[in-house]
Amino acid sequence: MIRLLQFHENSKVISGWLALAGPALKWLTPARRRTILIAGALWIALKRPLKQMTKAHVWSEVPPDLITAIVVTIIIFAFLWFCYWLALKFTSMPSFIRRNPQLCLHAFFWIILVVLWNTSPEGGIWRVVLVVLAINLPFLLWRLGYMLISAKHNKVAGTRFWEHLMYLAPVYGGTNTPYGKGLDFLSRHEAKDEEALARSQLAGIKLLILAVLWQGVRLIMDGLVFGINNPANQVLGGFTLAVPRLGQLLKQPEIASIGTAWVSLYCELIYNVLNLAVRGHQIIGILRLSGFYVFRNTYKPLLAETIVEFWNRYYYYFKEIMADFFFFPTFVSWFRKHFVLRLFSAVFMAAFFGNMYYHLIRLKYQLIQADFNAIWLTLHARLFYCFLLSLGIFISMLREHRRGRKPRPRRGLMQRGLSIFGVWTFFAIINIWNQKGGIPFVQVTKFFLRLIGII
Amino acid sequence: MSEKREQRRQGLVRFLRDIQKAGLPVDRLGDTDELIASGLIDSLAILEIVLYLEQTYGIDFSVLGIDRDEFSTIGNILDLIERQKPEVN
Repeated sequence: MIRLLQFHENSKVISGWLALAGPALKWLTPARRRTILIAGALWIALKRPLKQMTKAHVWSEVPPDLITAIVVTIIIFAFLWFCYWLALKFTSMPSFIRRNPQLCLHAFFWIILVVLWNTSPEGGIWRVVLVVLAINLPFLLWRLGYMLISAKHNKVAGTRFWEHLMYLAPVYGGTNTPYGKGLDFLSRHEAKDEEALARSQLAGIKLLILAVLWQGVRLIMDGLVFGINNPANQVLGGFTLAVPRLGQLLKQPEIASIGTAWVSLYCELIYNVLNLAVRGHQIIGILRLSGFYVFRNTYKPLLAETIVEFWNRYYYYFKEIMADFFFFPTFVSWFRKHFVLRLFSAVFMAAFFGNMYYHLIRLKYQLIQADFNAIWLTLHARLFYCFLLSLGIFISMLREHRRGRKPRPRRGLMQRGLSIFGVWTFFAIINIWNQKGGIPFVQVTKFFLRLIGII
Repeated sequence: MSEKREQRRQGLVRFLRDIQKAGLPVDRLGDTDELIASGLIDSLAILEIVLYLEQTYGIDFSVLGIDRDEFSTIGNILDLIERQKPEVN
């Protein structure tokens, strides 16, 4: 079974793929593959602003038409090229920028917001430009951040602006989180010859197959567990366990018993993992087909035996943002003589502050409109989620560190099972404070207290 | 490979053996084999490598910053040590 699952590493399968797709693999040189991704990026760069403007035109002064989309695209391209130029000239930048490039980048976004908050919507074309930038920056900030990290380590020289478009406007998909990180990371994992490309593509096909498989499991879960009327539910003759979704339970806790509520909690965790795995496998699958053999976004998190292991495997590229932009910069600078404090501050800077900040700038429309009430309502319960997450990761990392220099004991199936169950329970519980819909903190906490029998 | 680099390599491999995941042979890794991609360590183990380099070679990452590429292979880590502390044994 394991050999079957690892077909992409099998030399016979690789030879077979080379024989089957040989001419195509030969033609698809790294330069040509990049050109295809860049062409796709140009299409995305045009399509994305139009889509966003359509969403924003209700309140914004930006009308949703093709001409404006082209103008907007030009503005964004000019901005991106300016960032690229800054990255090229990084060593000759003022020392403050060289020392704090990420801070300067994010400060730019906040300055735009402050200007928007303090000017009239009838401000004119310059204000339209600022609105456009403010809408697009949350998607670009982490990607540009990776460009600046590369600049800091002298890795932008020799790259072309167009190559950076591959991840700045990724045709392979993504959210504000850059799956596959920046050009440096992509280049490091790029297939350089036909055999490496074949390996990468087979690994990509495997992920795409897994994505379809998990989609199927999700469909079954929807029908069998949550009672959604779908083909799976119909095949089962309408039979369902009728477990309520967690978001519904938080709003109406009385609709289920305590036992069912616990089942809902675990089911929600599994469902979240499935969702992330499906989306991540599709994106990374396409990247691997394009010859970038990068890490998966989700890798068997439900088999993790520690909290930190789960966090590392659940949403890899989000964790990487937290590690690259918050954890390591804090870890190498703060409390260097006190390991526990050092680790604590770095973990909280990443999993608490970084996590909250990431989700804050996702609320771009509310931010532009200065709708702080909506922002607070959406995020306030998440503060507690991030606090518990940080605490869990900190304790888990500290335990791992203290155990690190000793041989790892062999563990039985029962012990491993208990560890895995403990990790599931931790993430299932903290997920209560991580639900969409702006459910008040007090209401969520009351639900938790009812769950553990206190009220 | 110079004698100094070989000594550093042996020290590094001893250290990696301590933090590696069970069942994977660190001794068989070449200088260019990827540590994380090979499954030998997870990406969070970079923290342990940072501590090792700070304590053993006195490298100051607060000035240098962390470039994850420099931790990706044994060879890259040795190059980093050579660039930062060429005089240290």
